[in-house]
Amino acid sequence: MGSDTSSRPGVSVGPTSEFSLFFHVKPGHGEALHQALRDLQDAPGYRPGDYEMPIASIHEARFVPFDDDTRLLFATSFDGPWDAYMEDFASKPLKLFDSIFQHVVGYEGLPSLQAVKDFILNAQQTAGGYARNYGGTVKQIRKAITVNDAFQEVLDDPGAADALQHPALRPLLDVAAD
Amino acid sequence: MNPPTPASTTSASPGAGTAETTGAPAGPPLEIDDIQGGALYERPSPYVGTYLLLQIHDPADGRELIRRLLPLLEPGPASAAPRSGAWLTVAFTYEGLRVLGVPEESLDSFAPEFREGMAARAAELGDVGASSPELWEKPLGTRDVHVALAALAPDAADLESVVARARHAQEEIPGVEVIWRQDCYQLPTGRTSFGFKDGIGQPAVEGVGTPTTNRGEPPIKAGEFILGYPDETGGLAPMPTPEVLGRNGTYIVFRKLHTRVAAFRQYLRDKARTREEEALLGAKMVGRWQSGAPLVLSPDEDDPELGSDAGRNNDFGYTSDLRGFKCPAGAHARRANPRDSLDHEMSVDVRLHRMIRRGTSYGPMLPDGVLEDDGEDRGIIFVFAGAHLKRQFEFVKTQWLNDGIFIGAPAEKDPLVGATDGSGAFTIPQHPIRRRLPDVPPFVVTRGGEYCFAPGLRALRWLAELPED
Ligand code: HEM
Repeated sequence: MGSDTSSRPGVSVGPTSEFSLFFHVKPGHGEALHQALRDLQDAPGYRPGDYEMPIASIHEARFVPFDDDTRLLFATSFDGPWDAYMEDFASKPLKLFDSIFQHVVGYEGLPSLQAVKDFILNAQQTAGGYARNYGGTVKQIRKAITVNDAFQEVLDDPGAADALQHPALRPLLDVAAD
Repeated sequence: MNPPTPASTTSASPGAGTAETTGAPAGPPLEIDDIQGGALYERPSPYVGTYLLLQIHDPADGRELIRRLLPLLEPGPASAAPRSGAWLTVAFTYEGLRVLGVPEESLDSFAPEFREGMAARAAELGDVGASSPELWEKPLGTRDVHVALAALAPDAADLESVVARARHAQEEIPGVEVIWRQDCYQLPTGRTSFGFKDGIGQPAVEGVGTPTTNRGEPPIKAGEFILGYPDETGGLAPMPTPEVLGRNGTYIVFRKLHTRVAAFRQYLRDKARTREEEALLGAKMVGRWQSGAPLVLSPDEDDPELGSDAGRNNDFGYTSDLRGFKCPAGAHARRANPRDSLDHEMSVDVRLHRMIRRGTSYGPMLPDGVLEDDGEDRGIIFVFAGAHLKRQFEFVKTQWLNDGIFIGAPAEKDPLVGATDGSGAFTIPQHPIRRRLPDVPPFVVTRGGEYCFAPGLRALRWLAELPED
């Protein structure tokens, strides 16, 4: 229980580790939980089409009520070993999900750090399987997207084919054909 | 209670015994008179010093040692002329506390990392290869190290007389043996072996009265550094029991770090076209110019006046430089304290990962301009003080210095001190295209170290009075 503060990271692939929390929903809070999730979905970063969640170290965030709204799954992929950031969760990210976690058992304002650790460690389950289709952290992927967008813009320029003939641009030319 | 020590000329007086509060409704006032001075207050520079490691063969003699040391420890700001001739700090390893006869349940109440000891944490800390504990200087990292004693003095004569008296005292307590001595010093310029001024970036501690040098960082709660007070989480750091032992203590990390100065200079020489560029690349790696001037405030050239101006040389943040054109995100000082640069990412609270540093130099400086290794052992004795070994020292070392995930560069490590096999790169953002320095060799080798606990004065008295088995 609370004494387990030793490291227990999830399964990791490259710099990223899986992180899944299984909560019990407070009796009678099912509808309120759904409302809180709808509100989240309307918030900046979570609206359909948004890609800027306020927490920059998670790849995605998924809240899944299940078992007739008696349970809630929060699943994400975290850049770095999440267990090293436990105290940081308490100070920032957990607060962002406050209106959701209010409806789960064990989240009673989290008066102390120990309460936060218990809350997380009691809910965390390590995956039995975890794989990824791409490497890299959120920051690297955002950068890669920015660079690709810029590259596509270059390719749209009528002079691109000529410009890419320069030997220094060879690696770009190699990926420019499709 | 001890009489309050006179305030040094450099820091504000904390008043008689308790510190003034710095605005925010702090917790209980800090018992400055019960806290060993070395953690909270800088010793006046320049100084010379020595670190002694002691082994306790006879617990009764160990306790006698503590009794004799007690009157020599001066809490509060460093007096200009220390009573014993030197400013002393005493700390114990887990093994040392055990040998002294601290009861089992009390030993179990210390932080797990402290109980394990630094050598056992080698894999986590990146102390592998040439830095691995098997290669450490003996007796560092062994169970023989029980007591660590730091003695810093205004000059060499003072220091020698203190050491001579200590030797004399030791003859009367034969059950305590000095098993290691390491001399150290701080140059008047504050510069260490790589040529850079060090010890500038320090947190202001709430209730201590030392001036805030970075106006963007409100003073950090005292409980982040001294046990028994509220910390940045709003709670108390886990404190060893009984309370008399834990309260007013602090964990100390002590590491002897050999610096490959010639290799560092040679690397810069190889990568730079001019001397100016050499200085710039070095500054980009550190985050400050050699004078201490921060890159953010002086991006293009060194500004020695800024570097030596304590009112300005730490007064900056990184929000105006998020992409790192002035100071790369991978620079040592920016990694070790990212200041406000990560605030908008919501994933980390930098205030939970701060530390007080009390590093000193050891070994002769490599003369200016020399690019060949002269075989001398030189470097810094890195000293950390804080309430959390894990989320302060170990977090900074493992997540920020030995890794680059947090800056989106998992393959890069700290270019100065990162645990590297020499295959990592260092990226310097600049217009029109970024520069990437390849294959940054390891410039720092761990020669050994210990996790220690520096108790408060009441706790030392308690230790001195522990019953015979
Ligand atoms: C041989 C090893 C090391 C050398 C030569 C070195 C050198 C330096 C230098 C030149 C600075 C800039 C001056 C200043 O801001 O005070 C600095 C800052 C700093 N270093 Fe190191 N350092 C070493 C190891 C470490 C280690 C192992 C840690 C932590 C685990 C560390 C933590 C820091 C911190 C926290 C700062 C202050 C950053 C700021 O507040 O802006 N250093 N170091």
